Amino acid sequence: MATRSREITPTFDTIAWRWMRYSGILLIPLAWFHVVLQDVIVGVHAIDINYVALRLANIGWVIYDLFLLGFTFAHGMYGLRQVLFDFVHTERARRNWSVFLFTFWLVVTIIGTIALVKGARPELA
Amino acid sequence: MAATSSTIKKTVTGYALYMGREGHYAFILHRLTGLGTLLFLIIHILDTSTVYFFPSLYEHAIAIYRSTPFMLGEIALVFAVIYHGVNGIRLAIVDLWLPAKWTVKFNRNSVRFSFVLSVLLWTPAAAWMFLSMLKHNFAIDVLAMLGLG
Repeated sequence: MATRSREITPTFDTIAWRWMRYSGILLIPLAWFHVVLQDVIVGVHAIDINYVALRLANIGWVIYDLFLLGFTFAHGMYGLRQVLFDFVHTERARRNWSVFLFTFWLVVTIIGTIALVKGARPELA
Repeated sequence: MAATSSTIKKTVTGYALYMGREGHYAFILHRLTGLGTLLFLIIHILDTSTVYFFPSLYEHAIAIYRSTPFMLGEIALVFAVIYHGVNGIRLAIVDLWLPAKWTVKFNRNSVRFSFVLSVLLWTPAAAWMFLSMLKHNFAIDVLAMLGLG
C-alpha cells in the first residue's frame, strides 16, 4: 500500500506532535533508568534528604535530572492537553485551558529547576 | 452549557463503547497510564523540591512514600511507566518511520506484543518491590527465609 504525503504548514500542534515522539523515545532510557535506580535498586526506604544532597552535589546527576524534568513534565502536560481537547471543543475554552496548563507547567518547572540547581539543604532539616 | 455536557457524555461513552478491540484497549491504557504517571510526576516534582525550599518537610513526604498503600501504588506506577513507554515507542516507530505499517492486522499484533513485553519487564521489578515492602513494612524477609538474603 502506497503512503500519501503532502506539504503541511507547521503549526504549534504539528511540531508538538513530532516532539511528543522524539521526547517519548528519549524518555525510555531517561525515565526507566531513573525509576529502576530509585524505586527498585535503591528503594524508598534508603532515600532521605542526605541521600538527595549527596546526589545533587554531583553535576552529572543535576544535568540528568534537569533533562528528566524538562522532557517528562512537558511531555505529560502536552499529553494532558490532548486528552482535555477530546472533551473541550470551543476555541475559547481550549484557549483558556492552554493558558492555564502552560502557566501551571511553567511554575512547577521553575520550582523544580531551582531545587535541582540549588540542591538539598539537609542542615536545615 | 447543555451542548457542552452532552459532548462530554458522548466523549466518555465513546471512549468506553467504541468496539475497536486491541487498538482501542491500547488507546485507553495509554491514556490512563499517561495520566496516572503525570499525576504522580506533579506530586513528585513538588515534594522533592522541598529538599531546597522546606527541608524539614521532606522527611514527612518520604514517610508517606514508605507506607504500604503508596508502595503498592509505586508498583502500579512502574507498570504505568513501562507500558506507556513500550506502547509509546510502538506508536513513535510506526508514525515516524513505518507509516505504511498502520494496518489493522499489524496494529493488533503489535498491541498484543507490547502488552506481553510490558508485563514481562514489569514482573521482576514488581516482585522485587513487593519483597522490599514485606521486609520493611511487615518484617517478613522472604529472601532471608529462603536462605538468599
